[in-house]
Amino acid sequence: MRSDSNRRPPRLTIARRELRMLTAEKTIVLALAIQLFVAAFSSFLVVGLVSLYDPTGADGYQIEAAVTGDAADELLAAASEHERIEPTAYNDLAAAQSAFRTGQADVLFVATWETDPDATADRLRVTTSVPESNVETTIIVAETRTLLQTVERDLRDDRAASLESQPLQPLGEREGNPYYDFTYTVLVPLLVLLPAFISGSITVDSLTEEVERGTLDVLRVAPITLTQIVDGKAAAAIVIAPLQAITWLVLITLNGTPVANLGWLFVLASALAIGIVSIAVGTALLAADRRSAQLLYAVSAIALFAGTAVLADGPTNAIARLAIDSADTTIYASVAVVVAAAIVAYGGVRVIVSRVDPNEL
Amino acid sequence: MTDVLDRLKNAIGSARRRLASVWRIARWEAKRSVGTIDRRTAAFGAIIIVLTAAVVGSVAVAGSAGLAIDRDIYRVGVDADNPYYPVVAESSQLAPAEPNQEALATGDLDVLINHPGEDVVTWYVAETEKGSAAHSTLVTSIDRYNERRMADEPNESAAYPVRVDLQYVSRQSDATTPGGSDDGTQSDRAAEGGSADTAEGTDTSDSSGDGTAGAASDEDRSTDDSTGGSIPSIGGQAFGGSQSGSPATIQPPFPFGSLLLAFIFLVPMNFVIQAYGGTMLNERINRRGELLLVAPLARTTIIAGKTLPYLLAAIVLTAIIAAVVGGGLLSVLAVIPIALGFLSATFVAAMIARSFKELTFVTVTIAVLVTTYAFVPAIFTNVTPIALISPLSIVVMDLQGEAVSIGEYLFSTGPFYAGSAVLFVLGSGIYREEDMFTQKPIPAKVIDALNAQLSGYASVGLWTALFVPFVFTAELLAIAILYVAPIELSIPVLLVTIALIEELAKSVHVYAGYARSRFERRLPVTVGLGIVSGVGFFLAEKFTAIAQVVGLPELAIGQAAFAPTGLTPTLAVGLLAAPLVLHTVTATITAVGARDGRLVYASALVIATIVHAAYNYGVVMLYA
Repeated sequence: MRSDSNRRPPRLTIARRELRMLTAEKTIVLALAIQLFVAAFSSFLVVGLVSLYDPTGADGYQIEAAVTGDAADELLAAASEHERIEPTAYNDLAAAQSAFRTGQADVLFVATWETDPDATADRLRVTTSVPESNVETTIIVAETRTLLQTVERDLRDDRAASLESQPLQPLGEREGNPYYDFTYTVLVPLLVLLPAFISGSITVDSLTEEVERGTLDVLRVAPITLTQIVDGKAAAAIVIAPLQAITWLVLITLNGTPVANLGWLFVLASALAIGIVSIAVGTALLAADRRSAQLLYAVSAIALFAGTAVLADGPTNAIARLAIDSADTTIYASVAVVVAAAIVAYGGVRVIVSRVDPNEL
Repeated sequence: MTDVLDRLKNAIGSARRRLASVWRIARWEAKRSVGTIDRRTAAFGAIIIVLTAAVVGSVAVAGSAGLAIDRDIYRVGVDADNPYYPVVAESSQLAPAEPNQEALATGDLDVLINHPGEDVVTWYVAETEKGSAAHSTLVTSIDRYNERRMADEPNESAAYPVRVDLQYVSRQSDATTPGGSDDGTQSDRAAEGGSADTAEGTDTSDSSGDGTAGAASDEDRSTDDSTGGSIPSIGGQAFGGSQSGSPATIQPPFPFGSLLLAFIFLVPMNFVIQAYGGTMLNERINRRGELLLVAPLARTTIIAGKTLPYLLAAIVLTAIIAAVVGGGLLSVLAVIPIALGFLSATFVAAMIARSFKELTFVTVTIAVLVTTYAFVPAIFTNVTPIALISPLSIVVMDLQGEAVSIGEYLFSTGPFYAGSAVLFVLGSGIYREEDMFTQKPIPAKVIDALNAQLSGYASVGLWTALFVPFVFTAELLAIAILYVAPIELSIPVLLVTIALIEELAKSVHVYAGYARSRFERRLPVTVGLGIVSGVGFFLAEKFTAIAQVVGLPELAIGQAAFAPTGLTPTLAVGLLAAPLVLHTVTATITAVGARDGRLVYASALVIATIVHAAYNYGVVMLYA
């Protein structure tokens, strides 16, 4: 029994002990469960958001429009192309207004020709009234915009002779979900990056806590080096990050949002965890105490996140494009660069660790 | 008389001494926490911040407009000689690729644009959700591309033949309807003297004499905005007021800009609670806090003193952010309760956590939960009054320049204030030697914390009442979650959830009392505890009247939550007793169960929940 445990590599022993401690503290399991709930909740809310704010989500929804003014014909012609807007022409402004006020019409258009002395042709002025603070207002405004853009396009076509370059024709109508990419560009990167950041934070805690409680001394009398201790602790923290990330992504997939390239995302999440944990080890050993180490680590992590978010083809963009299944060779190359950078970072940190004198910690 | 005066003087004197101690501890805490950040750390931090700023800044300057997270997420097959090629190339979300019919079928392309003849363009969309989303993005990009090209046109009336004035009009208002007469004036003006109105966006603000003051100022703001440029600014006019410009510049009301700005208020909280949780847990490591504990100071004084610097830091940071993003005093006032919520939850977490690692996990969880709770409802500001459960909605409204009533402020911040106070009191119950320096399981510590607050019958009723803000918050969160679900599903789930939350709140401390043998096991005592708890709940629940002031129960789903409180005006006086009876009966059931350990208590809780849910169902049916 004893000889068996002696033969086990010390790094593995430390890593297993770290993992055992993490799971033994049931609050961590609870914390993970709550995070999972939040992840599910937010993707659920994205769906809710879409159904509330997306005009195309409301199928068969009809908007009653009251149209009046001397240029009403232009709007009526354009409205015939739109299924969702049902126009009614009023000769009388007061009648149209009362239709809007009583709720018979959802939107009121007052369309008039307006002469502009500087211009060659009249301009169409459309005063549009929509009801205030109403769930439907968003849909009404979005549809109104589409209708008025059609009017604008028709008029531009009529006046094409006065234009130097012709506007391009639209290729069909918007039917897709305008918030489709939100899950992939915001939620998925967040779910992949957050576990890595938490892992880094755990590493800082785990190392500085040993130093502060003085328990590192006990570990040091064991026949292992500081590098082995750090390796073990880092390994435990690195392993849990991609597992959490992939769990969340699978959950999102089950929730109805397919996430592609799970294998590549796993590799990327692991590499990011390695890189961030390397930063964490570095700050934990260089900073004076736990608090400044955590502060430094948090600042570095946020810096890293901000830096990668603006980088084209950077990790954040790579996560989004892998998940949405639009990855190309540059993205695969980008993953390879991140993996290489992570390995270099960890190697560098190990050099620092080997130079640190454990007695001075 | 002099006796009373003396006593008053004494009270003032001791209060002053106490405040002085709080202040002394706060100063000491602030000095110590600043002291731990040595020069090397500060230098490293500064270098990292400068480097980040340099990277972000140079990328932003280089032109790829800020965030690159959604770059090239859709692939469009288009030839370089296709007239639509520049549209795809110039759009950040679309990536041009080789046009290939097969690639469309395999999913390697989302949209394909062919250009078979001179004036012929055909397009194909992949039959997936992603394909149609990509197509929508393409259509939007074509609009934007056209807009950019039209902006260069010399002939303005041909390039922008349509000009839109969009106004939001309140229809619920009385017969005078300022909105209606506004329309009249405006169209008259447009018809007779439109020539005066150039593209500069002269608007109705001067003619809206009969509108309310708030509406008028809104219009002023939006007029200013549209003078600056045809694209509406993100801050001010997501809702309300009016917009002017070409059709493409109309923005559907989505308070996204203000929402993002409001989110910035939450970011520094994470740093503050990190530091705060760290210092609180620090006291518990190696019995460091013992010195303070044995000092001749009250526990509350120590806790207040140690919390004050972090609360002040949060307030200062909030004020700075408010000054930068253009929020007023109201924004700061709305964020303070959120800061208190963060701090109180972290305090309790630091009291029960067994290691820094655990604390980090719990802190992250708290941050995620409070952020979700504050942020998600705020998305629906102005869509539904439920959004007001988050103080962040007040911030969004403030940033949009909307008026906020006192009732709305209290409704959204009240639960946060009350909840933070309760958490601080609970946490201070275990700010003592036997809990601080021992490694007890967390449920045991929670029970300790609850038990520490109990003394007799009255305390049970009081704590049930104090739990009501949490009940209120949990119920509103449940409503917010279920709001998007179909009503057939959400109402029954909600009824059961609400019953469970309320039963738990009425019984968990009774269970804690029995678990620590504080109460006698005789049946009359148990029944007494149940009745006190039920009555306490009934009385405190009347505070949901605040909800009715705001008008929340106008929503069907709000009715389900609050109808059982019996505040519906049509309810007869005789029926007013029904909820009281219900609460005392179910509280007695759980109290009886609480005497005999965890398992019996859990079963009793299930029974009480079923009874309660059945009652709720009956009430909903009665009014449906």
